[in-house]
Amino acid sequence: MTGTRIVGQAKRIGLVWLLAIFALTACEPVEQEGPPKTGAAAFYDGRIIKWIIPYSPGGGYDEYGRMIAPFLEKYTGARVDILNLPGAGGMRGVNELFNSADDGLTIGTMNGSALVMNELAGMRGADYKVTEFEYLGRVVADARVFVISLDSGYTSFEDIWRKGKEVKIGATGLGGSTYVDAVIVNEALDMELDIIHGFDSSSVVRQAMLRGNIVGTWGSWGSALDAVDEGRDKIILQSGKQRAPDLPDVPTAFEMAAKTRNPERAMAILNAWESLHAVGRPVAVPPGTNPERVAFLSEALDSALHDPELLAIAKSTGRPINHASAEGMRQIVTEATEMRDDIRQLFVRAIQGEL
Amino acid sequence: MGIMEGLISGFLQAISLAVFPYLLIGAVFGLIIGVIPGLSGHFAMAMVIPFLYSMEPGAGIAFLLGAHSTVAQGGGLTAIFFSTPGTGQNAATLLDGSPMRNNGLGAMAAGAALTSCFLGATFGAAALALLLPVLQKVVLFFGPAEIFVLAFLALTFVAVLGKEDITRSLIAALLGLLLAMIGLDNVTNQERFTFGLLELRDGLELVPVILGLFAVAEMFELWVSGGSLTGSQTSPLSVKETQSQIFRGMIEAFKRWWLILRCSSIGTAMGLIPGLGSAPAAFIAYGHAKQTSKHKETFGKGNIEGVIGSEAANDAVEGGALASTVAFGVPGSSSMAILLSALFVLGQETGPKMLTQHVDVVFIMIFTIIIGNFIGMVGGAFLVNPLSRLTGLRGSLLVPVLIAIVFTGAFAVQRSWFDIGIALLFGVIGYLMKELDYSRAALLIGFVLGFAVEKNLYLATQLSGPYFLFDPIPLTLAIITIAFLAYNTWSIIRHRGEVNEDAG
Repeated sequence: MTGTRIVGQAKRIGLVWLLAIFALTACEPVEQEGPPKTGAAAFYDGRIIKWIIPYSPGGGYDEYGRMIAPFLEKYTGARVDILNLPGAGGMRGVNELFNSADDGLTIGTMNGSALVMNELAGMRGADYKVTEFEYLGRVVADARVFVISLDSGYTSFEDIWRKGKEVKIGATGLGGSTYVDAVIVNEALDMELDIIHGFDSSSVVRQAMLRGNIVGTWGSWGSALDAVDEGRDKIILQSGKQRAPDLPDVPTAFEMAAKTRNPERAMAILNAWESLHAVGRPVAVPPGTNPERVAFLSEALDSALHDPELLAIAKSTGRPINHASAEGMRQIVTEATEMRDDIRQLFVRAIQGEL
Repeated sequence: MGIMEGLISGFLQAISLAVFPYLLIGAVFGLIIGVIPGLSGHFAMAMVIPFLYSMEPGAGIAFLLGAHSTVAQGGGLTAIFFSTPGTGQNAATLLDGSPMRNNGLGAMAAGAALTSCFLGATFGAAALALLLPVLQKVVLFFGPAEIFVLAFLALTFVAVLGKEDITRSLIAALLGLLLAMIGLDNVTNQERFTFGLLELRDGLELVPVILGLFAVAEMFELWVSGGSLTGSQTSPLSVKETQSQIFRGMIEAFKRWWLILRCSSIGTAMGLIPGLGSAPAAFIAYGHAKQTSKHKETFGKGNIEGVIGSEAANDAVEGGALASTVAFGVPGSSSMAILLSALFVLGQETGPKMLTQHVDVVFIMIFTIIIGNFIGMVGGAFLVNPLSRLTGLRGSLLVPVLIAIVFTGAFAVQRSWFDIGIALLFGVIGYLMKELDYSRAALLIGFVLGFAVEKNLYLATQLSGPYFLFDPIPLTLAIITIAFLAYNTWSIIRHRGEVNEDAG
């Protein structure tokens, strides 16, 4: 199968290598045989697409990019080079994408919900406009789950719902996604759990759970899976309006909204929270890119994300694909950015750590 | 699968034809990455990952971990021959490695460094194997309170590093602590000392700082003083002389097995603590080697013990760092996070399941570290001669080339032009510090441990209240710290008394 793929990978790695060592963008067109191509397909044939990943090599965003790149090559006829631009909580790479040439040869992944929030909050360094990007589609939107350690003695959401500060839950940096999830749900469901933030990474949070320092944490469903399978942790609450097919016994935060002091407000907060999560991890090109090329690339991404071989890899490596089309993405972004004023204020205060 | 059974199966797999060639390629690849300044083990592993999709688990693990395990050995060579740490963890090697080169003993230092790396890595890997039955308990030993006290203990080693001039060392260490404060504070979400620069929001990156302080500073010095890296030695060593020096270095390392054992323990213990990394481990071990040496005064002027101590520690870190990854599937460093995702790609279960059902995979990792470092030692010895010949070149030829490589290394970490500026700035700072006799090691220890001390102090008080220090384990560690400080203070005072008497 993979003779050509390995050669392709080897070439790509060789290039990343060169980039890293000499900071040169050496180019070497890839020869391809086949019927003559027209339009955008002819344009991309043998070109190099630069794919900006706003996080370091080895992280989740990077892994997704490197997993999908060979398939994007297959459907565009271009060579796809991954360019890691970490920094400023993912904003550096996205700023770079926003200001890149609109020739359709630079694409980028982004951490959707965080970027929407940073822009809404007017955070320094958010020098992009999420609504102005041209979206090619979404790779995945993680379901968020509230997971607790079974050693804590608690087994369900009801157990801790009305508990106060004695239940400690962990979070990474102030304004990070684990922190925002925790304070937003605290606020929506009238909870007063003690949120301990400042852990270096979600791994350190997990370690604190294992030691019994904290009861639980918010996180993505994928990252919670291992410990749940081993019977150490339990998922007690999930995001999403309906229960996910894989989590039929776990209540959603929405189900709990009715039992709060102000169900209408709870629903409004949770709806906004949900629409932020729906942004997930989209792939975009700079504003003003030629519509024909945008259409060609989004079709290629669509085909790549439905390629059986990719889906098999995604499944076996535990990286779910949850594709949304370019059209769907536009709608999702619009919904996420149009928040009721009081709710927007609430989220801004949450990411600024004022809740 | 029992542990003995896993050990045998793991060993047989590691040396089998299906695995060993990948281990060999990985180890050589890692060695080369290590020689290039700024490229780290993290980078080597990230480069290897795309190959793993089509590989068998054993081969993939050997390839990946082999590449990671030899990086420090390659980096040590660069530190000794070019006064440029190949990776962050080799900065301590430079303190005595480059003076040895100036004394014409570069190849001997290299032989000792390569061997110490191998022995240190073997110690770390063996410690991991021995701890397997109690690994989960060991990993859970370290919470925020414990890490806070341990990081503080490590910080007090500054006193040892700069015994001759405690005031200057403290100034350097406190400057390091201040530099650690730069960036967005995780706790308050406030930017500190960023001067409005977005590039400083994530704080100073470690690699450009190290490259600046040590590599760029040496280039300045060479440029100012003229001549070549070999100093007064005019003609480079003959091949035969080089070979005999390498062997003498190796024998020296074996002779100091007790020092290697102690420094490896420091490295392994620091590897177990999440978030500390291997650069401070090497400096702490260097401090320890100096503390216990009979010839303290020759440290920094080309004492082989300084090279042996730091190189043993920086590779012993590996075994410790693997512990939490193996025990719970929770990575303790960015490299281990890559390893974990690679294990996923290879279809391996991590955490308790790996310990109970696939303990052979753990032993493949352990033997990969040991065999990989052995390959690194032998392969590295072949690199000594060509590298040492280059040091004979005139400074005016060598400096521009090295500066270009160093700046590219600084750039490569984040693909950031700003980091080149950081390397240059710290080059000036490092040069001034060296000229004015301030300890760069103290600054670096302050810089690296500043994060750990501050964050864990905050978390410990949040979790256990202000009296967390009186819990049994933190209390014990705190008493050790105080005793250590008291001993050092006493010996400094005594030392002063002696000097005064001599003067009188």
